Amino acid sequence: MELLGRWVSRQFTTRVIVMMPVAIAINIVLGASVQQGLKLPIYLDSIGTILVGVLAGPLPGALTGILSNLIWGYLIPAPIGSSTIAPFAITAGVIGLLAGLWGQLGLFRPRHGRVFSVAGAVVAVVLVGALALYTYSRAYASPEQFAANTFNSSDAFDQSRIFFALVMIAYFTLVAWAIFLRREVGAVYAIGAGLVTGIAAAVVSAPISAGVLGGVTGGSTDAIVAAFRTGGDSLYQSTLKQGLLSDPMDKMITSFVVFFIIGSLSRRFVARFPNGEKAIEGAPEHEPEPAPESAS
Amino acid sequence: MTEPGTAATRLPDYVVRRPAGFYRSANPGTKLAVAAVEVVAAFLLPGWLGPAVVLAAVLATAAIARRLRGLATIGLAASPLIGSILLINLFLLPGASDPIARLGPLAPTWSGLWFGFETTARLLAFSSAVALVYLTTAVDDLLADLSRRGLGRRATFVVGAAVQMVPLTMARAGEILDAQRARGMDTEGRFWRRARGVLPLAAPVVFGALTEVEERSMALEARAFSAPGRQTLLRIPADSPADRALRWAALLALAALIGLRVSGRLG
Repeated sequence: MELLGRWVSRQFTTRVIVMMPVAIAINIVLGASVQQGLKLPIYLDSIGTILVGVLAGPLPGALTGILSNLIWGYLIPAPIGSSTIAPFAITAGVIGLLAGLWGQLGLFRPRHGRVFSVAGAVVAVVLVGALALYTYSRAYASPEQFAANTFNSSDAFDQSRIFFALVMIAYFTLVAWAIFLRREVGAVYAIGAGLVTGIAAAVVSAPISAGVLGGVTGGSTDAIVAAFRTGGDSLYQSTLKQGLLSDPMDKMITSFVVFFIIGSLSRRFVARFPNGEKAIEGAPEHEPEPAPESAS
Repeated sequence: MTEPGTAATRLPDYVVRRPAGFYRSANPGTKLAVAAVEVVAAFLLPGWLGPAVVLAAVLATAAIARRLRGLATIGLAASPLIGSILLINLFLLPGASDPIARLGPLAPTWSGLWFGFETTARLLAFSSAVALVYLTTAVDDLLADLSRRGLGRRATFVVGAAVQMVPLTMARAGEILDAQRARGMDTEGRFWRRARGVLPLAAPVVFGALTEVEERSMALEARAFSAPGRQTLLRIPADSPADRALRWAALLALAALIGLRVSGRLG
């Protein structure tokens, strides 16, 4: 019990407490700007959540996500505030929780061309590729197999196949860009973490979107839900498929952006967070406890 | 802890100010409890009953509390969402087979139209119930009341600071967006052009906000933020017997609604 208490209190240092409202503001402002200002079918409303999760741990990450959506939905007036955001607080919490886990595993640490890191990145890419290939061969071999394995109408076969391919193209494009243009192997792990986070977020948010909002959020993703419904899918199937398209792309991009944000921050700043040492290149894998903050 | 009745007379207005008027002067916790019942009722009561009852209650309260204009603004801000709900359901409700007319490949249906209206009413009921809380309550009053009920100083700080930071960060993002547009960033063109605008917007917003973290944490530590012990609250929102009775009534109504739904008596 004492160990659990120490684990919890270690994640909530003063610096983390100060970082959380900043992260919440970043989530709300970027989310509103990208969805309303740039009108893109992605959300980009979890940069702050993933940043706090990676640097501070799973609990601050989850709390940042939950509070972002609750404050966005209930305390910020329109036009920025939107009551349709609040029910997705559960999804945001899961995103923050997973980001904390990825941070503790050191998946957002920059890795410039070390032999083990390159080998790990290759293994990660091969694993994702193999998993995608297996899923494709099981679910998309024929319209009949698609209907039997996914419980979807076979009418939606072509559409669903295209969206599956789009997500995989986005993944491999980001990976190729990170490796060949940025020479940054560590980003491959972050993008993989984003892919898994996105799939989890889609699964959690689909019943909320379908049950609470009838599949309509007023954003540009509504057109995608409408496209699936035209293809004969039920409301839940449409929102799940829209989520499986938008969320992995969004979280891959978000994780990628967070990875480069952390890499651009000063090592001294990053190291002062509970998980900071695990996000710095060249830092020891098992670092000592961070010093108390009262002296800062 | 400072009692409001004793120290209040010696404290300045901004510390002891009390909200006035019907519902606005109610305890923030009471308003939260009432909103919670209304949100649950909007979703658990079957068909049109839930949205109709909740909307009637919220509109009546807002009218007496003189907050109808605020609710109307929120309704207007939700109009793209409402339009989206109505259009999608009108044309694409799965299983609907009672067409209103044939418009080429499209066939709007009566059941789609009614389902769209019902979903819109439910959404409006739910969002206006919540909106009435923040239209009638100052955030610092809400936080002061939650602190009095045991919400920790860290949680109070996080919520209070986040609410204050959003408009500041929004203004900064607006300036950045305008500056990038002036440099040629395309925010209205094709998908890829708009997607290219994400990084020039996100990076300055994030880095600008993060520079404040170091200074703020030092300022907090200099003011004994982590010191043990309970903090003294300077302002405590009023909590009358009527407030307490209303909270209990809301709690019982909430339990009854959930109980009836679980037992299947609400359909």
